Amino acid sequence: MTPQLVPQPRAVPGEGHLTGEQFGELLARFTEEVGPEPTLAEAHLQVCEACSAELASLREAITLFREASDAYAEQELRGIPRWRLPNRSVFSHTFVPAYWFVAAAMFLTALLPLQVMRRHAQGTPPAVAATATVSNAASSAQSDEALLEDVNREVSRSVPASMQDLDDPTEDASAVNSESSNATTNERKD
Amino acid sequence: MAQEEVQMFPTTSLSLGSEELETPLDDLESVVALYQPRVFRFLLATLRDRDAAETLTQETFLRAWSARASFREDCSLATWLIRIALNLARDHTRTGRFRFWKRVTASAVDVAEVAAFVPAHDRSAEDHLIAQQQVAEIWQTVNGLSDRQRSVFLLRFLEEMEIPEIASVTGLPLGTVKSHLYRALAIIRTQHNRSGQSTTLHNLPERNATTGYATSKETR
Repeated sequence: MTPQLVPQPRAVPGEGHLTGEQFGELLARFTEEVGPEPTLAEAHLQVCEACSAELASLREAITLFREASDAYAEQELRGIPRWRLPNRSVFSHTFVPAYWFVAAAMFLTALLPLQVMRRHAQGTPPAVAATATVSNAASSAQSDEALLEDVNREVSRSVPASMQDLDDPTEDASAVNSESSNATTNERKD
Repeated sequence: MAQEEVQMFPTTSLSLGSEELETPLDDLESVVALYQPRVFRFLLATLRDRDAAETLTQETFLRAWSARASFREDCSLATWLIRIALNLARDHTRTGRFRFWKRVTASAVDVAEVAAFVPAHDRSAEDHLIAQQQVAEIWQTVNGLSDRQRSVFLLRFLEEMEIPEIASVTGLPLGTVKSHLYRALAIIRTQHNRSGQSTTLHNLPERNATTGYATSKETR
């Protein structure tokens, strides 16, 4: 059922119904209270049933819109994970100097052995260090040479050392035969 | 629904010692607890997308906290937060990606779903149905408003801000705010009358029938 927007008797001289702007002004207010000196629009509302009903209907619809939106948002918000804010930080400014002090101490502690090693290395005479380096290089070269010779020798063999025993199986057999013949001869002698 | 806890803000540089409170934002936990529902509600109604609203709500508080030094208390904290939220929403809606995805996103708000939250009060079943239809109609009409009209309308009727406060949030002159508001209301009024649902409900709660929005603001 729609309200009948029939022309009403002009409550305000020179006015029919409320203009769009008047309607907007009234709607945009949160109150229907009329001040001691009502405006033309307010005075019109008091006598114009159509405008009054339309305004009430729109106000009601907007109120419903707000209530429904509010309830809907509230319900949706419940499904959102709660944000966990960090606890009050232990990194308070009060303790910052202490933290810096501890950090500096740890840094120095880590640095100290390195510094000692460095000084120790710097304390050795350069000539001795150079000699040691040369002798180390020479000994490593000798061992390398020996290793290479071993490898070369091993590679140049026709039969690997581990297979040497299997190289000529007849040697063992002849040895066995000669041993057995010797034994027979001895028996005959007996 | 079990609520997970999500670490949101950086811990390394956050210092919340009571002796260091200089701005209201320093006590972030209280600020979030107090204003999160309001910011989320505004963003949800503006964007019509719960995921985007949730993301931008978090972003609002993150930005507010990051820029807390610039909060000079020349406006209320709520106004300042809503201003940040509005700017984020504008940036978000300007992207073509949003325009495309808002049509297909699964988290888009369903009008019928919102309308289902109309409080029953003492209405008859028929009146409750009419009320739901009215809410759905307004929700859709608001969706068709221009960005500025919608923002101004929501700030006025959802957040119940005064016109000067809306001007502060939007950065628009008072006259421009009024102009956008009246245009928005004119469109809603036209649509309301066109739909043939401008029937005043029979069993309206007394407070609405007699005082319009007046008492609703007080009761919130």
